[in-house]
Amino acid sequence: MFSEAAIKELEEIRQKYPSARAALLPAIYIAQKEFGWLSQDAYEAVANALGVPKAIARGVGTFYAMYKHKPLGRNIVQLCTNVSCMILGAERLVDFLKNKYGLEPGGTTPDGRFSLVIMECIGACGTAPAMLVNDDFYENLTEEYIEEILGKYK
Amino acid sequence: MEKVLLKNTENPNSADINEYKKVGGYQSLPKAFGMQPKEIIEEVKKSGLRGRGGAGFPAAMKWTFASADPKSPKYLLCNADEGEPGTFKDRQILEKNPHLLIEGMVISGYAIGTEYGFIYLRGEYPAAKDILNRAIKQAYDSGFLGDNILGKGVKFQLAVHQGAGAYICGEETALIESLEGDKGQPRIKPPFPVNVGVFAKPTVINNVETLSNLPYIIEVGGEVYSKIGSPECPGPKLYCVSGHVEKPGVYELPMGTTLREIIYTHCGGIKNGKKLKAVIPGGISTPVLPPDNIDCKMDFVNMPKHGSMLGSGAVIVMDETVCLVRVCYRALKFFEHESCGKCTPCREGTEWLRKILGRIENGEGAEGDIDLMLSVSSNMLGKTFCPLGDGAASVVQNFVRHFRPEFEEHVKNAKCRFK
Amino acid sequence: MITITINGKEIKLEKPVTVLEAAKSAGIKIPTLCSHEQLEKYGGCRLCLVEVEKIPRLQTACTLMVADGMVIKTETEQIADVRRGILEFLLINHPLDCPYCDKAGECELQDLVVKYGPATSRFKEKKRKVPGGLEDPILVRNMERCIVCTRCVRMCEGVQGASAIAVINRGGHSHIEPFSGGRFDCEYCGNCVSVCPVGSIMSRLHRHSYRPWQLMSETETICPYCGVGCTLVVQVRDDIIKRVVPRIGTPVNNGLLCSRGRFGYEFVGSKERLTTPLIKKNGMLEQATWEEAISLVAKRLGEIKDNFGSSAMGGIASPRCTNEDNYVFQKFMRVVLETNNIDSTARTGFAGAQGFIENIFGQGATANIIPGLSNSDAVFIIGGDPTAINPILGLQIRACSRGGGNILTIGHIKGLEKFNPVVLKPEFYSETVLLEGIVSALKNKKGLPGSNQKLEAKVKGINTAVEEIGEKCGITEEDFTKFIEILSESSTPSIVIGKEIAQSSGGSYKLLLISAINYLMNARIYLLSERANEQGLLDMGCAPDLLPGYRTLTFAEFRKRYETAWKVSLPEKTGLSIFEMIDAAKNGSLKAVYIMGENPVFNLPNSKAVEEALKNIDFIVVQDIFLTETGKLADVVLPALSWSEKDGTFTNMERRIQRLRKAVNREGMEDWMIIAEISKNMGAKFNYSEAEDVFKEIARVSPLYRDMTYEEIEKGDAIYPYKGEPLRGVTEEIQVHNPPEPPLSKGGLRGIAAGKLYLRLERPLFHSGTLSRKAPALVNIYPEAVARISLATAKSLSLKAGDIVKVSTKIGSLELPVEIDKKVDSSAIMLSNNFEDKGAFSLMEYTIDPVIKAPCLDGNEAKIEKVK
Ligand SMILES: Cc1cc2nc3c(=O)[nH]c(=O)nc-3n(C[C@H](O)[C@H](O)[C@H](O)COP(=O)(O)O)c2cc1C
Ligand code: SF4
Ligand code: FES
Repeated sequence: MFSEAAIKELEEIRQKYPSARAALLPAIYIAQKEFGWLSQDAYEAVANALGVPKAIARGVGTFYAMYKHKPLGRNIVQLCTNVSCMILGAERLVDFLKNKYGLEPGGTTPDGRFSLVIMECIGACGTAPAMLVNDDFYENLTEEYIEEILGKYK
Repeated sequence: MEKVLLKNTENPNSADINEYKKVGGYQSLPKAFGMQPKEIIEEVKKSGLRGRGGAGFPAAMKWTFASADPKSPKYLLCNADEGEPGTFKDRQILEKNPHLLIEGMVISGYAIGTEYGFIYLRGEYPAAKDILNRAIKQAYDSGFLGDNILGKGVKFQLAVHQGAGAYICGEETALIESLEGDKGQPRIKPPFPVNVGVFAKPTVINNVETLSNLPYIIEVGGEVYSKIGSPECPGPKLYCVSGHVEKPGVYELPMGTTLREIIYTHCGGIKNGKKLKAVIPGGISTPVLPPDNIDCKMDFVNMPKHGSMLGSGAVIVMDETVCLVRVCYRALKFFEHESCGKCTPCREGTEWLRKILGRIENGEGAEGDIDLMLSVSSNMLGKTFCPLGDGAASVVQNFVRHFRPEFEEHVKNAKCRFK
Repeated sequence: MITITINGKEIKLEKPVTVLEAAKSAGIKIPTLCSHEQLEKYGGCRLCLVEVEKIPRLQTACTLMVADGMVIKTETEQIADVRRGILEFLLINHPLDCPYCDKAGECELQDLVVKYGPATSRFKEKKRKVPGGLEDPILVRNMERCIVCTRCVRMCEGVQGASAIAVINRGGHSHIEPFSGGRFDCEYCGNCVSVCPVGSIMSRLHRHSYRPWQLMSETETICPYCGVGCTLVVQVRDDIIKRVVPRIGTPVNNGLLCSRGRFGYEFVGSKERLTTPLIKKNGMLEQATWEEAISLVAKRLGEIKDNFGSSAMGGIASPRCTNEDNYVFQKFMRVVLETNNIDSTARTGFAGAQGFIENIFGQGATANIIPGLSNSDAVFIIGGDPTAINPILGLQIRACSRGGGNILTIGHIKGLEKFNPVVLKPEFYSETVLLEGIVSALKNKKGLPGSNQKLEAKVKGINTAVEEIGEKCGITEEDFTKFIEILSESSTPSIVIGKEIAQSSGGSYKLLLISAINYLMNARIYLLSERANEQGLLDMGCAPDLLPGYRTLTFAEFRKRYETAWKVSLPEKTGLSIFEMIDAAKNGSLKAVYIMGENPVFNLPNSKAVEEALKNIDFIVVQDIFLTETGKLADVVLPALSWSEKDGTFTNMERRIQRLRKAVNREGMEDWMIIAEISKNMGAKFNYSEAEDVFKEIARVSPLYRDMTYEEIEKGDAIYPYKGEPLRGVTEEIQVHNPPEPPLSKGGLRGIAAGKLYLRLERPLFHSGTLSRKAPALVNIYPEAVARISLATAKSLSLKAGDIVKVSTKIGSLELPVEIDKKVDSSAIMLSNNFEDKGAFSLMEYTIDPVIKAPCLDGNEAKIEKVK
């Protein structure tokens, strides 16, 4: 079940669209924020809130890469390895995260502090390699810089 | 050239409405409202503006179709899904010059007769989302959006719709599906969006950069605008350059600037004095070019003559240290990840090609694998539902066409020399 | 006219169609996988790519609309390569487990590969692994085999309207899942199974038990369950039904089925079937020979007739038996036993409601074409959930909504909740006031048309103000006005009436009001029918007041016709209804009863009292396929052949006469044949050697079936009146029974609801009376009786789902698990009547509406308490 605040947020978003169904993507975002990840229950809440069949809600949600379908760590390191980042060393950074933090692509550190998601291009090719930690952009990455950045996230 | 799209963007507060107004922002709006919608479309036609999303479709033509459809309401969608790898030009506008886009959308909304606009923003741009939302709020507060814009009775409602990580949603009909709350899978065309688009209503979809040209076209007139850059597809163009150049970044240059000029004049040449090995000129879906083929004019008309495409103007520069098999492999991994799964050749072909490339790159390639790849990709090319699958197939074909020896060497030596 | 050329052949088309359809019409086959004639266009598999002149890119024939002058090539070298390429793509991740796969032999992919496909595999890697899907008791998913054509999903969402499955993930990870990821939570229509081109979604019922080419026979017949009368194809091997499938192009269901039709067939092969006659000796039923049994029945019936007279005997006919069975049965009762005491469970609502409505509008008023429903611009529904009672008819309502029609319901209707219904939910016992309100509002808006004086006389005085509706029904003026607006603005409305109307207090009065709405709106009426041959049974004259063809028995002229035909003189007095027979049994005046294919001890309300009453009867014959609750009370039990083991006809709710065909061989006699044997033993001549002989007689004597033949029926569209006389006109005065207050009322209309609970009958999709409980698949889906209560009731009694509760009324109690359902009325306990020893009817008393003679089941106050 959604919290009052979530229901209110959804109501507001709902007003932007001519149909409830169109609010599905934002509603899944809200559910993700609310429940941490998109469990069956989360989809049920979304489906009930919008009157969309639950199987459909889940089908739509699983299409998109940024919706999380398993519990992840507190901070999500989203590292781009697409061509522009790759040719400037992004793959070495993947190895670095693995060796230094035990962080494998798709995995989570045992302390639940970080999860690593390998991204397709995140639109920071001119300042490659780049990553997002949660909603924050970091560019021109080096191993040292990553250490410094990750230090900020608990 | 005077900057049009990136005007004032060195200013750290350029996203603020007041800064935008200081440099002449929102001046085109009253001017546009003084014109008949038809006249605006006429100006745009004169300007020769072609879509900057990749296909280069004449903007005025789309608008004419949509405004002629009697159904209402109509919708204007801004394609801010910018997912083509190597591309980061729209992000510049979204984060640094959002009011330019908003002003452009209000003008085109007025011209087409739409009252509703959505900006379909990719999920990977959280910062841009906040900036846009703030800018939209400012615009509402200042009467540039809403039910009675500038007191002229013009209506335009604008909202941001955030994607959730799917490259295919940049394709216009997939974008519509996604906006309607569905999987981003392309639709059968016809009907075209201009007649049956989002919520089954006439819909115009334009790229961020395309729409951002509008205030300037209204300001100086289509005639003057059409004198900038290539005569067949004029205007300022954002080129975003990444990879092994000294000064990567987004450059606003006249359409038709040559690739060589972009790389060597504007970006300071190849990094650390290394040798140029290959260039992908318009995002990874566009055919790769060898170093001897960079004197081409970067526009919609000339690039095909050189065996490639302008695409999104995303130039990826690779020096001699780059393994092109690996680049090709990484590109296919991208396409495999992004294939929406609707059609057979793309869903299965991207995976198969990635697997073959993977084994070649890992030194496990066999005799015949290169030909197998060519055969698989030709079984895809021209047979997929949308251009994504074609893109994947043509990447393989073009890498092999220009750099076959490097692939052969991987197979023969059973290893990658660049590792 | 559009002219196109395909492969050099000129094709002319009336209207724009797809290239695929155009090619098909010209006999040119283009291979397809994702395209399906029942589904929306998709264009995903890319197998149907063709060359079109002047279009550089290849085009999918399944999506491209023809345009005048189009020149198309479908069989070129290039196209052959494309097909091979696509098939190769499909195979790289498709397991080559054809020798093991149940679909082999009818797999569309296999067939195409045989025709065009690659001979060797160029794919060296491991195939994709996809999580299994074997959790469901009915629907087996083999997702490795899935080619993501999405036919099943498009069927589930776009046609069935269940939206229970979806494609999960994207790209190569795409596969189909129900919401849970494992078990389905759906309507189990199985229409996804029908459209799957490969072996990805299949029925567990026949898993690994045969290969398609081993099926010995395929027989087209009619579903045994509800009154829609879907055509289905029964596939048999070694006289065991292996599978039931629909067929595209059949008039009623056109390629679709519901759970009962598709998965409910297993009762036929049940080990519990009766195999020999049974005779009660010293209180025990013992096996006997046919000769013994038949002569005993003949002898005893003869004795009772001689000693107590014909009126001491009664017969109960069966809505599950054929027209032929029922015709012979009533003839036996009238001609041999010489009584009109013949009735059936159609009396529990259908018969009375139909008679009532036809008396106002003329015969045939409730017979409307089912697929026509989807063309209505508004459907008004009251008295039951059509998607559960008559599922295939329900689909037409869903299609209507999808096409932009309005769905208007009185009360919450579960199966339509996703179809934007406009709902008016009156308080308990205030439905009548609401209907009066609707009639008043429509009268004001539209005025009385003046064409039916009799009806107008009855409704002229009705004037119920909006305020009164607000007060008594708890419905806001806004909601009511919106409802009336939509209803009154529709130009092609339909009205769907469920049995709850006839079974509630003031049933006949409500029917009058609904008839008035129908009249004011010039609508079409659909009367839901729960049993397959409820209509046919009435047509055949299995009613105490009607001769075959709805000819009123008390009219000498009608009687005469049958006296001539049957060469006897017929009893003149109207017979006893089924409820009157029970009363007669109770008071000892009914001495013998012959029950064919019916189980009154379970299927009639107050079933315990029915049982007690029947125990008073001297001689009971039960003819059935199982030893039912009623059979256990019998003196002689006669085993009958069942559906799919016999020939004959059924008449559906549209009055379409359809052929039931024998698909399975079994030793034994058809129902009519047993009766005929007994008749012969009693000295009457019933000379029929096969069902068709019986039908020929029906077609000779019944004005409605006049001149109809099996041959004509085969052609489809055998809807009567066929060649015979016009249908019965309006004959009688309209009578209604409008009890001023509900029968058990104590404190005025609203007072009754306050704080009290009432038992209500649930009619679930997966069951249908007592037959379905012998179909393991249906029992698997819906395994046991449950009491369904509202959230409010659950809260106030601190009950949670799964608790075992005791539900009791004045006449008894049952222990069963409880389920909580948000949409249940807070005053209701919902209980179905489908499970042995747990039937709602064992707790329900009734009163009889004197006009429609149906039992009113309202007002059974009930208590619910936790047991554990
Ligand atoms: C696979 C695919 C991805 C695309 N991605 C984008 C994109 O990210 N942004 C964009 O503006 N156009 C994209 N396009 C092009 C759009 O379909 C469409 O042509 C464009 O938004 C039209 O705007 P324009 O006329 O202003 O260029 C993509 C097309 C395809 C086939
Ligand atoms: S709708 Fe009725 S007749 Fe048709 S398949 Fe279902 S149960 Fe049988
Ligand atoms: S049948 Fe046409 S694309 Fe599948």
